[in-house]
Amino acid sequence: MKRILLISLFCQFTVFAQDDLLKLLGDDTNYKISYTFKGVKIVNGQSVELVSKGDLLFLIQHRFGTLNSGGYNLYGLDNSQVRFGLDYGVNDWVSIGLGRSSFLKTIDANSKIKLVSQINGKDAFPFSLVWYSSVFFKQSIWADMQKESYFVTDQMSYAHQVLIARKMNSNLSIQLSPTLIHKNVVIEGDLHDLLSVGFGSRYKLVSRVSVNAEYFLQFNEGTTINPLSVGVDIETGGHIFQLHFSNSAAMFERSFIHETNGNWLDGDIYFGFNISRVFTINK
Amino acid sequence: MNKIIFFILLLSSSNIYSQRFITKEAEISFFSEAPIEDISAVNNKVSAVYDDETKQLVFQLNISDFSFPKALMQEHFNESYLESDKFPKALFSGIIEGKNKSIVAIGTLKIHGESNKVKVTGILEKTKNSVIINATFVIELTDYKIKIPKLVMYNIAEEIEVTVNAELKKI
Repeated sequence: MKRILLISLFCQFTVFAQDDLLKLLGDDTNYKISYTFKGVKIVNGQSVELVSKGDLLFLIQHRFGTLNSGGYNLYGLDNSQVRFGLDYGVNDWVSIGLGRSSFLKTIDANSKIKLVSQINGKDAFPFSLVWYSSVFFKQSIWADMQKESYFVTDQMSYAHQVLIARKMNSNLSIQLSPTLIHKNVVIEGDLHDLLSVGFGSRYKLVSRVSVNAEYFLQFNEGTTINPLSVGVDIETGGHIFQLHFSNSAAMFERSFIHETNGNWLDGDIYFGFNISRVFTINK
Repeated sequence: MNKIIFFILLLSSSNIYSQRFITKEAEISFFSEAPIEDISAVNNKVSAVYDDETKQLVFQLNISDFSFPKALMQEHFNESYLESDKFPKALFSGIIEGKNKSIVAIGTLKIHGESNKVKVTGILEKTKNSVIINATFVIELTDYKIKIPKLVMYNIAEEIEVTVNAELKKI
């Protein structure tokens, strides 16, 4: 009988224990994984990151000439391509953007939609899924526009991407980007639709600096070279500086994926940077 | 005899359960005065349990559930300061002292993987079916090894004022 008393007393003690109180709270939490990449772009291609709701992101992208262009051109620094972009976070899962590249004088309008977020915890989901679509419009000169054969839609091409990314741990993130490019007008014999898949990753060295790499594999036969880019992201709070080397000078999907001619081994490497600044315009 | 004691014990243990109060929607907010912009955030998904028999109190929250007025602040809070990937939760567990409404909670506060003994004064109001807890206290970032990076836009203060508002319901 004494034994029962003892056991019962003991049981009560365990009831009192703090662990038990914690157990009452349960652990049914889901951790939504955020900040898979620092910026909305890995280098040239899109990352699964969207501009936050109510934020306006101003992006300045620069690509200088090739490193092998000699001292006369200051190893490429004398020449440059630029793209200005504005992206706005409509809500937590939709962002819209507008950009203009000096390369081929192209305007792009795009939209990113977050379909699923990576979740750790009770209802775990292994990756984030984002849809990205962009339309490109190549500006024309007045004389061309006067021609009878001119159609506005002839100047347009499109990109559609499904971005699949996983934050492996707090430092390493990887991304797969199946891509479809459609061109309304092509040279005879060329394809209207081009398929490719992008591979992207970032590795955080310290909390504000990461190294990024990006590669697109084209599935169509052609003479162009697959774009490979490597770079460093430096985040200073509000600004993100992305410095990189790439064999592509273009900064929109149609051109950097399918119209890259630079060869890394020949030194056709473009130094470039993206600088982004975020403004909270709608709290 | 045997049975009687057993029964009494059984009764008393069920009594213990009936003295417990719980919530998963308590609110914890914090505020820090900073030169450029004041920093504030609120988390209203905080869990808490209180056992009126043993006077034990536990609070638990997810760091990533803190919501800031600016998305960039939230990103820095999670990524650079609190490192919520590595330390997803904050926990307080302790004992309540004091007989009237004014109480002192003495226990351990664990934030950013660092535990510290804390003593927090607050107010605890008990009704038949609920317990309301309110408290305000100050924490020092250095106690929890929360580093302020040198290269930041939001220079934050070393001291953060934390406010707790919780209404716990009887289980």
